[in-house]
Amino acid sequence: MKPAEFDYCRPSTVAEAVTVLADVESARVLAGGQSLIPAMNFRLTDVSVLVDIGGVEGLDAVACDPEGVTVGATATQTRVLDDDAIAAVIPGLRAALRHVGHLQIRNRGTVCGSLAHADPAAELPALAVACDAVLAVSGPGGDRRIRAADFFSGPFWTTLEDGELITAVRFAAPPAAAMTVVDEISRRAGDFAVAGLVAVLEAGDREMRSARLVGFGLGGAPTRLKEAEAVFVGWAADHPTDVIAEAVVADTADAFDDIHATGWYRREAVAALAVRAARRALNAREDA
Amino acid sequence: MTTSEPTSETDVEVTVNGRRHRHRAPSRLLLSDYIRDTVGLTGTHVGCEHGYCGACTVLVDGDAVRSCLMLAAQVSGAEIRTVEDLAPAGSDSLSPMQQAFHDNYALQCGFCTAGFLMTLESVDPSRYETPEQVVELLSGNLCRCTGYHNIVAAVTEAWNLSRRRGGSDYG
Repeated sequence: MKPAEFDYCRPSTVAEAVTVLADVESARVLAGGQSLIPAMNFRLTDVSVLVDIGGVEGLDAVACDPEGVTVGATATQTRVLDDDAIAAVIPGLRAALRHVGHLQIRNRGTVCGSLAHADPAAELPALAVACDAVLAVSGPGGDRRIRAADFFSGPFWTTLEDGELITAVRFAAPPAAAMTVVDEISRRAGDFAVAGLVAVLEAGDREMRSARLVGFGLGGAPTRLKEAEAVFVGWAADHPTDVIAEAVVADTADAFDDIHATGWYRREAVAALAVRAARRALNAREDA
Repeated sequence: MTTSEPTSETDVEVTVNGRRHRHRAPSRLLLSDYIRDTVGLTGTHVGCEHGYCGACTVLVDGDAVRSCLMLAAQVSGAEIRTVEDLAPAGSDSLSPMQQAFHDNYALQCGFCTAGFLMTLESVDPSRYETPEQVVELLSGNLCRCTGYHNIVAAVTEAWNLSRRRGGSDYG
């Protein structure tokens, strides 16, 4: 279908964009539009004014240093995916973006837009939580920073206030020896995951030293798997896998049922992904 | 061009296949409808209108995009290319990829074909070595007639990819 009528503006500064967003009810930010425009075409979302931030100078900036990567609000997923320097600092960004949509979607879709959209089955919000990302936000009350762990409050729901705009996100580099695994079960390539896992794992010579595990597609928001993280530490390839599976199932008790899978299936799927990730990290260490 | 005043109509100034166009368009007008109805180039097809099928793929400043997921207002100042731009102007011949599609029976009803061709046009063939990589590249375009095998065969031929890699039955 076609979107219902709305007014459109293309401001040239963040301040102008925030003014419109704060003044007009149901004003929405248009960055890549790869989730917003389908929702508007389906008339699933009510938009009075679309604030296209594509003309705001500098918002497409991407910066990379050994401690982390900063991605501006209008930097596309393709821009980030194709950048070898970014992949060297935050390997999870490339690993996650490979699962996001298709080439045509990534050419327009933005990293920050995916975070703002907060689809519970999306990879980037889970990666943001796993990498201690911090979002830079501008609003009518000034600028503030929000930790990814405090940002996602439910399906398509975040702690952004009315009139606020994400201007950039900063992903912190994982420990140098860590391996990042982004793995998921999805029905078709490029589709949203039925269930998925981001794992940042530090393997020792024989056993796991540290683990950060965040599931997605399970509930309303990225799910930190804290019991499983505790079980991972000290786990070795010859240990039973049941302990991991049991911990993951306990962590994901509120995984939901829908037409694609039951909550039970989702818990079992993420448990299997967790075992697979642990083995991969330990094997990679052995091969090194 | 930027303006912070919200309006229900927007000036669109754009180059499509080398020709400049200037219109005052409703802000809600999708790029796909702008190309088909306002500019009058109907080679770009509209399938699902929610970014799933890839039939409406066009190039915006060289990048393959879904034209049903962009507004005409967003492309002001951009250069658009559509399927009409692929074959050499003023001749009856096809582009090499179009010819390969023809030779390999890579289309039946043809509804999806423009989207496939524009996706292929947007990339550097030297980045693709195997039919499997082509399958991955084309995963954003749906075809309901061919079962994809003949499309992959056409690309394999046009790009002269190795047909012996990985025991694939593609090509």
